[in-house]
Amino acid sequence: MTSGHDRPRVVRHFVLPGTLRGKLHAWRFVIARRSVQIATLLLFFGTLHWGWKIAGRPLLAGNLSASELLGAIPLADPFAVLQILASGHRPGREVLTGAAIVLAVYLLLGGRVFCAWVCPMNIVTDTATTLREKVGVRDLFHLSPKARYWVLALALALSASTGVAAFEWISPIGILHRELVFGLGLGFIAVLGVFLFDLLVLRHGWCGHLCPLGAFWSLGGPAGQIRVAFDDASCTRCGDCVKVCPEPAVLNFTAAARNGMVLAGECTNCGRCVAICPESSLSFGLRARRVAAAPIAHEFTQTREPR
Amino acid sequence: MNDSSRTRRDFLVKGAQMAGAAASVGFIWHALVKSEARASAGALRPPGALAERDFAAQCIKCGQCVRACPYGTLSLASVAGPAATGTPHFEPRTVPCYMCPDLPCTRACPSGALDPALDDVNRARMGLAVIDEEHCLSWQGLRCEVCYRVCPLRGKAIVINTESRKTSRHAVFEPMVDSEHCTGCGLCEKSCPTELAAIRVLRPEFVQGRIGAHYRMQDKASRSGQAADAPAAAPSPRIAAPKPQAAPGVDYLNQAAPP
Amino acid sequence: MTSLTRRAFMKSGIAAATAATVGITVSQEALAQAKAAEAGWSWDKGVCRFCGTGCGIQIATKGGQIVAVKGDPDAPVNRGLNCIKGYFNGRILYGQDRLTRPLMRMKDGAFDKRGDFVPVSWDRAMDEMERQAKRALAQKGPTGIAMIPSGQSLIQEGYTASKLMKAGFRSNNIDPNARLCMASAVAAFYQTFGVDEPANNYDDIELADAMILWGANMAEAHPVLWSRITDRRLTARTTKIVNITTFANLSSDIADLEIVMKPNADLAIQNYVAREIIARNAVNREFVDRHCVFATGPADIGYGMRPTDKFAFPAEKDVQGQELVHVLDKHEAVGQRKEPGTRVEQKNRTSAGKHWLISFDDFKKAVEPYTLDFVAELAKGDPDEPLDKFKAKLVELVDIYVDPKRNVMSFWTMGFNQHIRGVWVNEQCYATHLLLGKHARPGNGAFSLTGQPSACGTAREVGTFSHRLPADMLVDNAAHRKTTEEMWKLPPNTLNPKIGSDIMAILRDLEDGGVKFLWIQTTNPFQSTPNANHWLKAAREMDSFIVVAEAYPTVTAKVADLILPAAMIFEKWGGYGNAERRTQLWRQQVDPPGEARSDVWMMLEFAKRFRLKDVWGEKAVAGVKADGYPDGKLPDVLAEAQKLGYTPETTLYEALFATADNRKVAWPDPVAKGHGNSTVKALKEGWFVEKALFEEYRRFTVAKQHDLAAFDVYYRDDVRGLRWPVVDGKETKWRFVEGHDPFVKKGEGFNFYGPLLKALPTGNLDDVTDPKPTSLAGKAKIFFRPYAAPVEQTDANFDLWLCTGRILEHWHTGSMTRRVPELHRTAPTAVMYMHADDAAKRGLKRNDVAWIESRRGKVKVVVETKGRNRMPKGSVFVAFFDEAVFINKLVIDASDPISREPDYKKSAVKVYKA
Repeated sequence: MTSGHDRPRVVRHFVLPGTLRGKLHAWRFVIARRSVQIATLLLFFGTLHWGWKIAGRPLLAGNLSASELLGAIPLADPFAVLQILASGHRPGREVLTGAAIVLAVYLLLGGRVFCAWVCPMNIVTDTATTLREKVGVRDLFHLSPKARYWVLALALALSASTGVAAFEWISPIGILHRELVFGLGLGFIAVLGVFLFDLLVLRHGWCGHLCPLGAFWSLGGPAGQIRVAFDDASCTRCGDCVKVCPEPAVLNFTAAARNGMVLAGECTNCGRCVAICPESSLSFGLRARRVAAAPIAHEFTQTREPR
Repeated sequence: MNDSSRTRRDFLVKGAQMAGAAASVGFIWHALVKSEARASAGALRPPGALAERDFAAQCIKCGQCVRACPYGTLSLASVAGPAATGTPHFEPRTVPCYMCPDLPCTRACPSGALDPALDDVNRARMGLAVIDEEHCLSWQGLRCEVCYRVCPLRGKAIVINTESRKTSRHAVFEPMVDSEHCTGCGLCEKSCPTELAAIRVLRPEFVQGRIGAHYRMQDKASRSGQAADAPAAAPSPRIAAPKPQAAPGVDYLNQAAPP
Repeated sequence: MTSLTRRAFMKSGIAAATAATVGITVSQEALAQAKAAEAGWSWDKGVCRFCGTGCGIQIATKGGQIVAVKGDPDAPVNRGLNCIKGYFNGRILYGQDRLTRPLMRMKDGAFDKRGDFVPVSWDRAMDEMERQAKRALAQKGPTGIAMIPSGQSLIQEGYTASKLMKAGFRSNNIDPNARLCMASAVAAFYQTFGVDEPANNYDDIELADAMILWGANMAEAHPVLWSRITDRRLTARTTKIVNITTFANLSSDIADLEIVMKPNADLAIQNYVAREIIARNAVNREFVDRHCVFATGPADIGYGMRPTDKFAFPAEKDVQGQELVHVLDKHEAVGQRKEPGTRVEQKNRTSAGKHWLISFDDFKKAVEPYTLDFVAELAKGDPDEPLDKFKAKLVELVDIYVDPKRNVMSFWTMGFNQHIRGVWVNEQCYATHLLLGKHARPGNGAFSLTGQPSACGTAREVGTFSHRLPADMLVDNAAHRKTTEEMWKLPPNTLNPKIGSDIMAILRDLEDGGVKFLWIQTTNPFQSTPNANHWLKAAREMDSFIVVAEAYPTVTAKVADLILPAAMIFEKWGGYGNAERRTQLWRQQVDPPGEARSDVWMMLEFAKRFRLKDVWGEKAVAGVKADGYPDGKLPDVLAEAQKLGYTPETTLYEALFATADNRKVAWPDPVAKGHGNSTVKALKEGWFVEKALFEEYRRFTVAKQHDLAAFDVYYRDDVRGLRWPVVDGKETKWRFVEGHDPFVKKGEGFNFYGPLLKALPTGNLDDVTDPKPTSLAGKAKIFFRPYAAPVEQTDANFDLWLCTGRILEHWHTGSMTRRVPELHRTAPTAVMYMHADDAAKRGLKRNDVAWIESRRGKVKVVVETKGRNRMPKGSVFVAFFDEAVFINKLVIDASDPISREPDYKKSAVKVYKA
C-alpha cells in the first residue's frame, strides 16, 4: 500500500461546509442521482398514468425490465434477458434489441452507473445506510462482497433448472419499481425486507453483497468510459473516500495510482468520494484520455507487483 | 497435521460451506419460484399469451401490455397476487377483455410472451368459460341467457340449446360453451347476474380432458354431413421385442394353476 | 339455523326453490337447510312488476323487508319461472337512491321554478300543488290541468286518476304512457270488433301449429311467453315459427322463416297475403259471409305531427311540411292506385278514423296491385339477400297462413303499434285471420301482445286515456257519459264531452303554454317520448308546474318542479291485468320507506283540497259542442249537485271517493290476513280504499261484458288471476266464440258483439257513396288499408334507419332495473347495433364511440357489430333504457293519426366517428 510518491505533510479531512451553497456543492452528486432516479420513475409513471407523449408518441412506456422510448426505441434489462436465455427460451426480437441497446449504453457509461443513478432500490438502501450510521448499528456477521457473484451464478443456474427467469421472479427491485409505477400493493413488504436487512444486519447488505443485478453490471463495469480519475500526487491518503464508499474495495490506491483512475467494476460512479475529497484528488474523467496517456491492459491483475 | 494439509482441509471445508450455503439459498429460491409458478397456474393472461410455462419464462414483466389496454382490463400481479409477481393478468368479473380487433396489448409486448403472430383476436385463447349448471338461472329454466347475449362470439362460443322443460309447457334455454370458439374474454363472467357468477372463465387445462389418441370421435363436421379433415392416423402401438424371460404375462402364466 | 352461513343459505334456498319447480330431486339435507333458512318467512302471491306477460311470483317477507321472491309454480302463465328481470323483483324496491321525501324547487323559502330541489313536508308539497292547480284552473279552465299515468299504474290508481280528472276537474287531459305502446292496438280493436282486447289467450300457444311474429321480438320483450313458444316448437315438431322484422334478432334463433323487411313494408306484405288468400281460393266463405263485413277509410290522414312549423327546429321543417301535403312515391302510387308524384293534401288528418263499408269485390280490386313482384321489390329489407330468395319466403309465409291443417297465431307488439299506420297494420292482420276464419278459435287468432304489466288492466280497461271512460266507454258518446255519470253519482253533463289531449298533445300543450299543471305517475315520459328535446326545454322554460310521483330520480323528475316519493308495487295493495285479460291482485307486502306514499293516497289527499264550487261551476273548454252543453263551455252543475245531496262546500274527496258506499268497506278486512295497508294508515279514515274502489269499478265491468270477479275472489289461495269476462265464477278463455264466451248464444257460432262503431255508411274504395248508416251488429270488419311510406325517409345526409326498443335485461327507461347492481352489470350501457360493413364505411369498428344524429338531436353511443341483433346494411338499433344514451331524443314524433301513437321504429339518422 505504499507508493514512491511523496505525501503532503498535513492530512486534512473532509468537513461539511457551513453555508448552504457549500452544502449543496458537497451533495451535488446525491442531488443529481436522486433527480435522475426520480425523473426515470416519473417518465414511466407519467407515460402510464397521464399519457405523456411527445409528437404523439408515448414518452417511455413500460418499466425498467423492458420499455419503449418514444414508441420506437426498445429498451430491455440485459440481465433479465440473460436469465430468459438461460431458462432455455428465446425472447422476442424487440427485447433482444432493447437489451443490446441498454447493454451498450451502460458499457459506455460504466456498468454500475445503473445502480447509483437509476435503480430505485438505491434510494432505499442509501436511506438504510444513512440511518444505520446515525444510530450506529454494527454488522451482524461478515459476508464477502463476492457472494453476489455466487447469487448471480445461482440465478442463472436456477433459471436453467426452473425454466423461468429466477431472479426476475423474486427481484425486490422489480417489485419496488413496478409498485411505484403501476400502483401500491403488498410489494412493499419485500422492499421493507431489504431496508431492514441493510439497516440492521449488514452495511450495504443488498447492493454491496447480494444483488445479482449489481453483480451483473459489475462484470461489465471495467469497460465503462466514465470513471473516477485519481490524482495520486495530491492524495494525502486521508481515507475519507474509503469511509463513504459503498464499495470500499474499489478504492485500491495502488491500483488507482497505477491506472490514474478507479477501474474496478464494482464502482457505481456514485460520486460520493469525488464530492468529499478534501484535496480534490478524485474527479470524474474519461477513460479514453487515460488510455491515451498511459496505456495499460492489466486492470484485472491486482496481484501484479508495481513496477 | 502439517500446514499444507490444514490449508487443504480448510479449503475443502470452506468450499463445502460455500456450496452448502449456495445450495440452501438455492433450494429456498427454487421453492419460491415454484410456488410463484403454482400461483400463476390459474391466472388469465392477455390474448396471445404463450402456454403458461413459456409465458412465465418469457414475460419480462414490463407492463407495456397493461399500458396498451384501453379498458383497464390488465394489471401486473402484486406480491401474493393471483399470478407470479409482476406478470400481467386479468379478472373478468372485475374487468373482462373486450377483444379489441387491433390487439393493442399483444402488439405492445416486446418479449414475445404475447405471440406477435396472433392477428385475429377471435383466435385468442385466454381461458375457457365453464357453466355451473346447478346455479345457472338459465339451466334452471329462467329466461336469463345474459352470457349468451353479451358473448362477442354469440352463437359460436356460447350457444343456446333449447330443451323442453317437461314439468310445464316451457322450454329451457341452456347456454353451452364451445371450446373451439371461446376466447375466454370473460364478458360472460362479468355480466352473470347471480350473486357469484355461475359462469366462470378458467384456464382450459383446468377444465378440458383429452381422449386417447387411439380413438377417434366422430367430429362435429362429419356429424353435420360436411367433409371433415382427414383425421391424422393414430400412432400404432410400439411393440418392443419381447425378451424371452421377461415376456409380459409370463409371471402369471408360470404360477401354479389354481386348485 | 344459526350454523348456516348466509352463503349456504342463499345457495340451498335457490337450489330447493328451483328444484321444486324444475322437478329435480334435492337431497334431504339440502331441503332441510333450505327450510331452516326460511324460518320466519311468510310467503304470499304477487305479480311480476315488469312486462305484459303477467308472470305470477311468490314473495317472502320477514321483519318488514322482502327477503326473497320466486316464480309461482301454480301460476299458469309461467309455472314457477321468471326472466332475469323477474328474478330481481324483490330487489328493485331497495335501490340506494330511493326517493323518500317530497322534494320541491325552492328559493328563499318559497317555490321557485329556477330553484333547487329541497326536501319539504307533505303538507307543504300539497299546499303548493293546490295553489298551482287552482291557478291553472283559473287561467286555462279544466284543460289547463293534465295528468300522465301509466300502463304500470295499478288498477285502483288508474281508476282514482280517471275519476279525479274526468269527474272532479272535468278535464279529459289524462293520457297514460300506454298511448306510446298500445293505442294503435286499441283503435284497431275498436274499429274491427267494436270492443277492446284480444279474443284469444296464451293457451293458444300450445294449440298453434304456426306462430307468426310481426314486429315482435318476443325472445327479449316477452321472455317467459317465448319459452312457451319455444317449447311448442320443440315438442310439436311440425310447428313453424316465422319472424317478420326489420332486422335479425334473438327471436330469429328458433324461427323457421325469417323475413327481414323494409320499414312500413308490413302494410304491403299483408296486402300480398290477402291477395294470395283470394287468389288461392282460401277465403273461408262461410265464416266471412256470416260474421264479417268489408271496410276501408281515407288514406290522406297525415302523420300525427303538428300542422304548423312554428315550434319545429329548422332541420325538422322539411319533414314536418308533409303533415299537410305529401307527394306519393312510386310504391305508394301503385298501392293506392294513383300516379307517382301526386301531391296529396292530407284532408282527413283530423278525421283519420272514419271508415265505411265496401264490397268484397272492392276489397279484391284494392289488393290486386300487391303482386309478389311488386311487394318483394318494395319490401326486401336486407340488401344482401337475393330477390328470389325473398320472394320464396313471402310465398312460404302465405303457404303457412292458408294451410287448412294449420292452426295459426299471429303475434305483434311495437313493430305494429309504434307505426305511423299502426291501426292499419293491426287491422290488416285481423283481416288475414278473418278471411281465413282463423280467429277467436282455440289455436287460431291474431293476438296483440302488450308491453306493460297493466296496459290492459289499468290504462285500457279502467280507461285512463283522454277519450275513454271505464269499460270501453267513450267521453264523446252521450250515452256513455250518462251511464258513467249515473254510476259515479254525478249531476248530468258534469263530464267533459270533448276528447282531451293525448300524451304527445299534452307535451305539445306544455310547449305552447296550454297546460299549466301536469301530474305524472309511474312513468318517465321525458326520457321515453320521441323528440324529447322539445319537451325538456318546455318543461323548464314555460310557466307550468310539473309534479312527478316517482320512486327513483329519473330524467322526468329532474325536469319537474315537485317530486312526490311514491310507494312501489308491493308496498301497496293493487292489481294488474295482463295481455290475455288475466286480472291479478296482490296484498301489500311491506311498508313504503320513509315518507313514500301510494299514488292513491296522494290523489285522495289532493282531492280533499278542492270543493265542488271550485270545479263544478261553469267552465270554459274550447271546442265543446254537444247536446246539453253551451258551445265552448261545461255547464254549471252545482244546482243539480244539490239534488244529489252535495253542497258547494263538499270536497272532491267526499263526492268522488269517500262515498257512503265506499266508507262501508271497512279496514281491517279478513282478506288482509295480517298484511298492512299503507294507504289506509296514512289516510286515517278507516275505509279499505283499494277494495272499495275496485268494487266500485267492477260495477262498470259487469254491465259491459268485461265482468271482473269480486275483490276477495282474486285473493283466494287457489286463484292465480282470472281471465275476464268472469261469469258465474268462470273465466273466459276465448271470446266471441260459442262454447267458450258466455255472451255468445247457442247456434250463433261466433258473435263479435262489441258495440262500438257498428253502424257505417257505404262507399267505394275512394269515398262514401251512401251516408245512410247500416247496422253490422255482431260482425267484425275486414279492412283494406293501402301501403304508405314512412314520412321521414333516409337520404344522402341521414342515410340510416334508426329503430329503438327494449332489451331483455332492462325495463323501459331503467329507473328500476338499473338500480339493481347485478342487473345493471348485465347491460350497463345501450349500444348501437350496426352492420360491420356500415361501421367500416364510417371508419368505425366494434366498441368505438360514435355520434348518432337525426334532424332532432344527437347522442354518443358505442358501436356494436357482433351483438344480439344482426342488422341489415342501412339500419341501426339502439335500446332506450340508458339515460346517458338518450336515443328517443332523436326519434321523430310522427304518430299514427288514428291512434296518436308515435312511431319509434323509423327515423332517419347519420352516424359518424366521435
